[in-house]
Amino acid sequence: MSSPATEIQQERAPLMPFGKKERQNIIDPLSDNNPITVQVLGICSALAVTIQMNRALVMAAAVIAVVCASNVLISLIRNLIPPSIRIIVQLAVIASLVIVVDQILQAFLYDISKQLSVFVGLIITNCIIMGRAEAFAMANPPWQSFLDGLGNGLGYGIILLIVAFFREILGSGSLFGFRVIPQALYDLGYVNNGLMVLAPGAFILLGLMIWAQRTWTGFEEES
Amino acid sequence: MAFSNGYVFGFATVVCVVCSVALSGVSLSLRDRQELNRERDLHKNILGALGLPEDGSELDGPKIDELWEKRVQQRFITPDNKKAGKELDQDGDGDLDQDDVDIARKNAGDGAPEVLSVYVRIDGDSVGAIAMPLNGKGLWGPISGYLALDPSASTVMGATFSAPKETPGLGAEIQEPKFVDQWTGKKLQKGSGPAPIRVVKGQSELLCPGNVDQCVDGVSGATITSRGVDEMVATAVQHYDAYLKNPKGAF
Repeated sequence: MSSPATEIQQERAPLMPFGKKERQNIIDPLSDNNPITVQVLGICSALAVTIQMNRALVMAAAVIAVVCASNVLISLIRNLIPPSIRIIVQLAVIASLVIVVDQILQAFLYDISKQLSVFVGLIITNCIIMGRAEAFAMANPPWQSFLDGLGNGLGYGIILLIVAFFREILGSGSLFGFRVIPQALYDLGYVNNGLMVLAPGAFILLGLMIWAQRTWTGFEEES
Repeated sequence: MAFSNGYVFGFATVVCVVCSVALSGVSLSLRDRQELNRERDLHKNILGALGLPEDGSELDGPKIDELWEKRVQQRFITPDNKKAGKELDQDGDGDLDQDDVDIARKNAGDGAPEVLSVYVRIDGDSVGAIAMPLNGKGLWGPISGYLALDPSASTVMGATFSAPKETPGLGAEIQEPKFVDQWTGKKLQKGSGPAPIRVVKGQSELLCPGNVDQCVDGVSGATITSRGVDEMVATAVQHYDAYLKNPKGAF
């Protein structure tokens, strides 16, 4: 994984909370180093929860919350963590945060939490979060780690929402559950594309997006 | 910097304790809300199966509680279709409620529980519909549901299933309209007696010639969950046999 872990040296209390590096932390993962389309992480949930926009939105929010919080927490204790057990400590922190998010969803957004079912719990295994903890938060101070988490969470969320947008509008003719394709069009013989509701539809969309995005940024896989 | 073994163990212990305390705190403080949500969700599903609200609108929050209080009653009966009284109290709190029904079911094993219950929809003075509870086993965990029946307990008016542990996209599909809507209009009766509706593989029209009223299509890729639904309905029909023959008997 190409990580900027070593690029950013520890600075003394940053005077500018949004210096160049900090901005880079957020902007980089949105496109040039996007966790889904460039690093190809977090694919499982990107396929599973993108049938509807509102599911994708809640999932994205949950991942953003978890990756930000885990980056900050791990960064705060990064000098205390013994290297021999660092992975399991990261996992413990991430797993706890995911359970908290799951509990909050069950208490306040019950219907969506029911639709997301196991996929909220599976955020624990989302490689993006472990990846950022290991590659970035272990080597950088909390503020930068927070921004890095935010950037990666947003990068993940954007892709999720774009995939969900096409899947919902082509597969169900609606957005956020509201019908947007007029009945008149159905009367003329238009039908929803059932493929988009199924996982292969998400695969195809994701593949097209990765292609388009890599062509645009000129990213090439190291051979 | 090198870390001693003692430090590593100490650090791991502290992480474990802090995480578990934090999780217990969160779980405790949110439990009431979550239970209320689950109860409302269950009530909403039973109301839906019973055909409430009549205009088919979506209800949420306190409106569910209000409608539930006003239109639905839980009735307790014995397996031989007598009104169950306080003498059948299972948990010793002096009255009959859902807990007693659950305990009786656990104690009964494969036999008929001592106490059964149904939910009834009250239309003015009379019973407009009956919801019979179903409990069974899926592939990964328990599944449950309600069959809503007309007042004579012969025709299905609606159904609802809950499969929290089943695989999304496979077993959990028994909760979706595609499966659930098939049940409406099926007959829980064969000849003059109660008989279960079967869940079959493939097109029920082909597999149940002349008997389509008593078959529904199982879910492809979820054979075991579908079989679980089949068994769960058969078990309920067996336990509620006396009641289904004469639903007005005890009340």
